[in-house]
Amino acid sequence: MSTIAETASRDQIRRRQRVDGWRWAGRLFLVFMLLYTALPMVWMLSTSIKSGFAAMQFSPQLWPDQPTLASYQKLLDPQNSVGQDFLRFFWNSLIVSTATTILSVIVAVPAAYAFSRFTFPGRNFLFFAVLLRNMFPAVIFLVPLFILMRAIGLVNTHGSLVLTYLTFGLPLAIWLLKGFYDNIPVQLEQAARIDGATRFQAFMLIVMPLSTPGIIATAIYSFIGAWNEYIYAYTFLSKNEQLTLPVGIQRFFSENTTDFPGLMAASFMMSVPVVVLFLLLQRYFVRALTEGAVKH
Amino acid sequence: MTIVSGKAEARRPLQSGRSDVLRKMWEHRADYAYVLPAIAVMLVVIAYPIYYTIELSFFNTPPGLQLRDKIFVGFNNYTAILTSGVFWQVTFNTLIWTAASTFFSFVLGFAAALALHRDFIGRGVLRAILIIPWVISAVAASYIWKWIYHSDFGIIGAVLVELGWAERPPNFIDSVSTVLPSLIVVNIWREFPFAMIMMTAGLQTVPEQLLRAAKVDGANAWQRFWHVTFPHLRNVSTVTILLLAVANFNSFIIPWIMTGGGPSNASHIWITHIYELAFGRQRWGVAAAYSVLLFLILMTLGYFYVRALSSNERKEGNA
Repeated sequence: MSTIAETASRDQIRRRQRVDGWRWAGRLFLVFMLLYTALPMVWMLSTSIKSGFAAMQFSPQLWPDQPTLASYQKLLDPQNSVGQDFLRFFWNSLIVSTATTILSVIVAVPAAYAFSRFTFPGRNFLFFAVLLRNMFPAVIFLVPLFILMRAIGLVNTHGSLVLTYLTFGLPLAIWLLKGFYDNIPVQLEQAARIDGATRFQAFMLIVMPLSTPGIIATAIYSFIGAWNEYIYAYTFLSKNEQLTLPVGIQRFFSENTTDFPGLMAASFMMSVPVVVLFLLLQRYFVRALTEGAVKH
Repeated sequence: MTIVSGKAEARRPLQSGRSDVLRKMWEHRADYAYVLPAIAVMLVVIAYPIYYTIELSFFNTPPGLQLRDKIFVGFNNYTAILTSGVFWQVTFNTLIWTAASTFFSFVLGFAAALALHRDFIGRGVLRAILIIPWVISAVAASYIWKWIYHSDFGIIGAVLVELGWAERPPNFIDSVSTVLPSLIVVNIWREFPFAMIMMTAGLQTVPEQLLRAAKVDGANAWQRFWHVTFPHLRNVSTVTILLLAVANFNSFIIPWIMTGGGPSNASHIWITHIYELAFGRQRWGVAAAYSVLLFLILMTLGYFYVRALSSNERKEGNA
């Protein structure tokens, strides 16, 4: 009797040790990942509050002795030509990204709903055709799209970017939303229809509220994609006053190659809106993935 | 709606093929209105460019000539590409870049998702920090790392010198042998959070009861992972790996901004090479032929992607 109890407890101890081993490995790994992820960002922040002279010092100071916000002031000062440009790029990015987001939701919602609910011929083919869009790199489409945009008079307008960005966001948006609609019981709509609602009313009053997390996730994804896009903006826009942030920053710093504090400050400010947006709404994003895309 | 269409099918059993499809399409004409905006946008922005690229790949476009004056050359562009040395170098770089980035992003992301699965204080904050590199723009990321790798004032070089491991700061991205691995480190930094998010979402679908049952039956942590968790995540893993592979195969911004493909093509991958051929050297025809080859490769990957997705669908149908 006692021997059995002993072996059992010894077993337990051994098992706990093994589990602890995994847990420690996990902790060590997380510390490593934290350093890998965060140190470059810390270095960006630390450089952005250095003076130009301090940034070019060997060996570098990990954190500056005399932190200065001069770079930020320069970028945000509308009186200064650098500030004027930066604020204009920022505004352009905001307009393009917002327009893309709104249009994506308007186009993706009915499409995802149809793919989820209706069984029309060609449904699977069209669905996968939409998903396949994700497979192709932007560069392939650049030349023909440029010619197309010239033909419909959209070159050097923000419209050309919005139209193009719409199509990157759509496949994932439709995919995510379809998963959501698949999860909403048809019976709910049918009940509303029986009570006299039209299909549109049933959709707006029953389905839309239930799929809000999916729509928010879709919107975040579109916004971030549009905010960060570089290649099309680089190719389609040539007028300085229309550039979006990624291209604007690149143009600017290919002329001022040594202003690293300014470059880091600009990178930081370009990242703030999308990071804040994502952190506020990431709950919805993970939930949308769980319920939509990843579900078995 | 499903019920209505089900009845319609039951009432009229299948007749001859084509007229049946047309009639069905007509019956469902209202349904198409929902997908029309999406399909229309896709057609304009995708179908036309694909057609145009294929056409252009059979023409020669000497620099300085208007694009509409192109000269038909048949398959010359293709043979020129396949016999050039640069093609094989760029292909080799692309393979290394895609395989290494995909493998490490997936492994690191999956491991991070597992390590963050158990609740502990600060888990939310940690997860949020790990996701940030994926959210910020690749342009910003490229500049941050370019500054980190800087050959005179870069922090890594300074630390190595300080520790006495190097005489002088190494030239990470200006040297042929180190440039590609250095860029891959940046790419992984940006991509592993995507794998982490996908696998986090996947882990939440693993039934808790199964894990508990396995524990009661005496399975250890590794056995529980290998026999319960992992099989549940097979589909998510496939989709994640394919999406990562495609994204990496198509990357452009990081190599373009950090090195522009140099030094001496050591960090050129397909996309940057195509871009340079087209926009740098105005060799549109050759660039188009490259794009068509790229299509073929991507379609093969796409076939597996669709298959992975539709096996998901089938499972949903059964559930």
